[in-house]
Parts: sequence; C-alpha cells; structure tokens
Amino acid sequence: MSMKTTSIMRIGAILGAASLALTACGGSDSGSGDDEGPITIGVSLPLTGDFAEPGKGVQRGYEAWAADVNDAGGLLGRKVELKILDDQSNADRVVADYESLIAQDEVDLVFGPFSTRLVVPAARVADEYGMLFVEPAGAAPEVFEQGFGNLFYAAPAVANDHYNYLAEWIEALPADQRPKTAAYAAMDDPFAMGTAYGLKDKMEAAGVKTVVDEKYPPNTTDFSSIAAKIESSDADMIVGGTQYQDAVNLIVALQQLDYQPKLAAFSTAPTNPEFPEAIGDKTEGILSPTGYTTEATVATNKEFVESYTKRNGNPPGEDEANAYTTGQVVAAAVEAAGCAEQGECQQKMIDWLHENEVETVVGPLSWDADGRPQGAHMIQQYVGGEIKIVLPEDVKEADIIYPKPAW
Amino acid sequence: MDGSLLFQSLILGILLGGLYALLAAGLTLYFGIMRVVMIAHSAFLILAAYLAWWFHRETGIDPLLSLIVTVPLFFAVGVLMQRLLVARLRPVTLTMMSVLLTFAIALTIEGLLGFVFSGTQRRIQLGYSGESIEVFGAHVAVVKLITFGLAASSLAALYVIMKYTKFGQSLRATIQHKEAAQLVGIKTDRVAGYGFGLGLATAAIGGTALSLDATIYPSLHWHWIGPLMAIIVVGGLGSIPGAAIAAMVLGIGQSLLQIPMGTTWAQTIFYVALFATLMLRPQGFFGGRLAQRF
Repeated sequence: MSMKTTSIMRIGAILGAASLALTACGGSDSGSGDDEGPITIGVSLPLTGDFAEPGKGVQRGYEAWAADVNDAGGLLGRKVELKILDDQSNADRVVADYESLIAQDEVDLVFGPFSTRLVVPAARVADEYGMLFVEPAGAAPEVFEQGFGNLFYAAPAVANDHYNYLAEWIEALPADQRPKTAAYAAMDDPFAMGTAYGLKDKMEAAGVKTVVDEKYPPNTTDFSSIAAKIESSDADMIVGGTQYQDAVNLIVALQQLDYQPKLAAFSTAPTNPEFPEAIGDKTEGILSPTGYTTEATVATNKEFVESYTKRNGNPPGEDEANAYTTGQVVAAAVEAAGCAEQGECQQKMIDWLHENEVETVVGPLSWDADGRPQGAHMIQQYVGGEIKIVLPEDVKEADIIYPKPAW
Repeated sequence: MDGSLLFQSLILGILLGGLYALLAAGLTLYFGIMRVVMIAHSAFLILAAYLAWWFHRETGIDPLLSLIVTVPLFFAVGVLMQRLLVARLRPVTLTMMSVLLTFAIALTIEGLLGFVFSGTQRRIQLGYSGESIEVFGAHVAVVKLITFGLAASSLAALYVIMKYTKFGQSLRATIQHKEAAQLVGIKTDRVAGYGFGLGLATAAIGGTALSLDATIYPSLHWHWIGPLMAIIVVGGLGSIPGAAIAAMVLGIGQSLLQIPMGTTWAQTIFYVALFATLMLRPQGFFGGRLAQRF
C-alpha cells in the first residue's frame, strides 16, 4: 500500500515540478532571485505520535540554529528558512514528506527527522534525489548498513559505541574488583538494543559472564518479572538498553526486590531531567552514556547554551544539541562548497564532509564512509544527587563511584 | 529453574492479577449492562492516574486521597455519559456504534491529557516506592500490596453492591432481561446510567492504583485495552467474579511464563487465551447465558 502511495506521490511531485519549471521558463527574471532569496531547508519531524517529545526537542534545536545563523548574517550571506512538516511518527508519512519537500517545494537542503525508524526511510528518499542527509537521531547499527553514501550522523557516537568508555574502565579494573557476572535488559528497539549489546559484546570478550539477557517489547508496562529474573541471578552489574519509561519502571521494580548490583547503567533515561523526580533519592551511582552536556567547553557550545537559554528560558538537552549540531555540520559543508542548492552542489558537500572534520557543540566530528561518527559518548553518573561526567578522565567532573551504593 | 524465583514470580503474578482484575471489572460491567464496548475505559484509567499524579504534585498529599474526589466525579461522568451519549445510540447497532463513540472519547481524553500535561512521562514519587516486605524469602513491594488491597476491597464492595442491594438487584435484572425488568417496574434507563457510573468509578480506583507503581503518559491506555478486553472475554462478559478469576489466572500465567519464555512471548498469553476461549467456549468461562447474545 505504501508503495502505491509513494508512486502516486512521486507522479504528483513530478507533475508539480514540471508545472513549476514551465512557469519558471515563462518568467524572464527567474534566475536572478535565486541567489538573494533565503536558503530553504526541508525537515519532517515527529511532532505528534510516539516520538513527539524528542521530536519537539529536535525542532527547538533546529530553530535555535536557524535563529543563530540568521542573527549572524545567514549562510553565504543569505537568510536560512526552515520548512518543517509533521510526520506523526509514521514511516510512510516521513517518506511522503521528504518527497514533497525535495520535488515539489524544491528546498535547497534537508535535515533528518528523529529516531532510527524514521531516519532510514527518510534517508532513502534523500539518497534517490542525491541530497546531502545529515541527521540528529539515527544511532542504531542498521542506519549505517544500508549503503547510504549521503548520510551523516551528527552526534559523537553510534549506539554500539555509547558505553565504550565504561567498557574500557571496567576492563582496566583489578581482577578482584571487576564484575564477574552481568544482566542485560533491552527494549526491542534498534537504538536501545544497540547500546546494551555494544557493551555486552565487550564485556563477554573481557570474561564477564552474561547471566540474564532479556529483550522486551516497547509496550511492556510491567517490569516486575524481568526484575525478578535479574534479582534471582544476583548479577554483579545490570545494563539497561532503555528509553525512558521502561528504565524508570525497571529500576523501581529492581529496588522493590532489593537487588543491589555493584554497577548499574541505563541508556537515555538518567540524563532526562524528569528522571530524579521519578526515582527520588535513590539515583546515587546510576550510570548513563550521554553525547552532550551543557558544561562542555568545546568550541561554540558556550554561545549555543547562552543563546538557547535566552530564547527558551531553559538550557538545551541532548535532542536540542544534536539538532543544533546537524545545522552546524550542514552549514560547514555549505560554506566549504560555496553553494546550497539541489543538484551537483549536494555531491560537493557530501564529498567535503567525508574528507573533513567539523567543529560542533558536541565536539569535533568526522565520519567513516557509511556516515558513522568516529567518537564515543561520555559517561555520566549520579554523584551526590547530581548527574556528573565521570568518564573519560580528561573531561570528568567527578570521580566514578564504584561499587554503587545501595539503592 | 530455581525455586525462589518461581515463588517470587508467583507472588508477583498474584499481585499483577489483582491489578488486572480491578482494571477489568468496570469493563465487564458495561458489556453486561448494555452491550457497550467501552474502548475508553483504559483512557479513563489513565485520566484518573493523571489526576492522582497532579493532586500529589500540587498538594504533596498521598495520591490515594484523591479518590475522595475522583470516585464520585467519575461516577457522575459515567452517568452523564450513559444518559447523554450512549443512550442515544440505536439498539440495533449499539455494540458497533459504541466502539466508534468510545474510541472517539478515548482519543479526546488522550489529546486533552497531552494538551494539559504534555507528553512528558510522569511518575508519582512516593517515599515507599521502592520499599518491600520479605515473605519467606520473596519480596512484596509495598505499593503493589496497597494496589492489591485496593483491588480486593473494591471488587468485594462491587460484589456486595451487586448481590445484596436493591440497586444491585435491579442492575442484575437489567443485565439478565431488560424487558422483564421493566415489567416489574424497574426504571432500566436510570439503572443502566448508574451501572455505567459504577463502572467508571472503578476506573477512578484502578487508575489511582496504577499511578502508584507505573510511569504514565497520555497514550499509555492503548497498551492496556487489549489485555483487559481479553480478560473479560475469557472471564465471561458481565461476570465480575469471572473477570477476577480470569485476571488472576492470566496475571499469574504471564508472570510464570516469563521465566522460560521471556517477556515478548509471555505477553501473548492474553491473545492465546482470547483465541482459545472464542473457539472452545465463546460465552467465556463464567459468563453463562448472558454472553451468548454476543
């Protein structure tokens, strides 16, 4: 059904583009307006539906970037203009949206949507049209296994590498202190599983035995049975490949069973400002990987945090930062190529990004041929009731707590 | 399989079954009274959970106290909903149209919750959220125990109302044979309205119980309606003891199956049970004559 819709959309788009071309030919002054007009950037985002919360975060980040660029005089001396559509967290809609943005609205550039499930279909459309595709939120391994030459993930690391610094740190522990057994629980979602299994592979290679390996569907509401299995295994460490509500529910269920691991790490949830409100005073020692912190001293971050906070009344989170980073990466490519329109210019920008490093609010980024960023996530931990960076050594704000105090 | 995990899972299953029973009780009432497929029941659960969370955030008082307001409020909303909306549906197409009507109500509640409280996921932070009591080596979480107590007492109250009060007798008469009930002087319209209100009042209790130990968000109700529907079909439409027993069996089943099969497969028990019931005993296991009308 979606195939059919897509081809109808495509025919419509071609007709639309053809009629636009015809009218353009009729006018005599069509060529001159192009360079002075704004650079239009097409985006489709999940502003409603399952991913609405992070989707809106990405929107705020894109808008913050556009505002900052325009305040500074624009790109190549032209203003930038965002055209944002709502795909309702629906993969069919996201395809139709990018089709119409590129073919019908003839936007100059596109930015990616949120979540792996939407990034992959969106990137395919951009690829067909030869458009540069920089995205803020598709970290799962499968995003980079599709053979897209035009895709770049604008964050420090892919999902599998999120726990890399933690893995190195555990491997470096003296043998008698190192955890011997580990329990893994991951949501059946490419991103969430990617984070947990990235660490699992490294731990197994280092001789840490896997005693529980649970995968649960995204609609799971009761985590007490999973918690019972983990508690019964008495694993030294627990690793959650989690989004938000599942992590919170699982942690509380584990606390109710009085399971006391030496190390507890959960992706995504602990860095959410709602997290300590939900868990209360029992967060001490909980670890989480993160790609962004407002405290980072890398180039442009201070200005970003200041201008964002001034506009929105609160500091940016990770979604906002990744979206802002997307803007910075595309802007760097535009400046380097000296152009920003559909056609050959897109390939010029793609080639440039494959060869170069870009300074962003999440640090300097460079990519491999499939668009994987060549970095790792920092590791944060609740220390004294506040979330602080504990790894890697050179940027840490506090010492890592190990073993974790009882929760 | 290790014995203590089995025992722990059994305890968790019983506690879960109690919650399921409470959440499903109202649903079986609507079916029983007037063949209304109430898709919005779980949306009202989430609404009650949000009200409990909001009440706790604003006042800092234990969310259970919000029941003093939400139970009568939901009862009134239920009566109004039945009189103003459901009663206007034509009897011939009632079952089908009620699906559409209550689907719309569910979407409206979800939309309003998102609008008022945003899509951010919320959880009530209680001092005793993570506390538990040890019973023969198994841990019984305090919040789960409170939830179970709420479920048991509400179901007992519901049973007493249905069995021993005049209103309960009229309600049961309305369920069994509407025309005959009218002949003996029962105002079946009014009784049906109160019955609907009673169902929604259980949603207020169920939602508040749910809010004690769950992270809530506006679209959460879609995750609940499927299992709850399965429970009342297995239990027999209109039978409260049936719903309670089915909820208990499925809750324990889910919890125990989790050990060998994992979460994804354990959850399918609801649909397997639904399918098997419809094939072998479509009236449900405790439904009796009433359910055969469906």
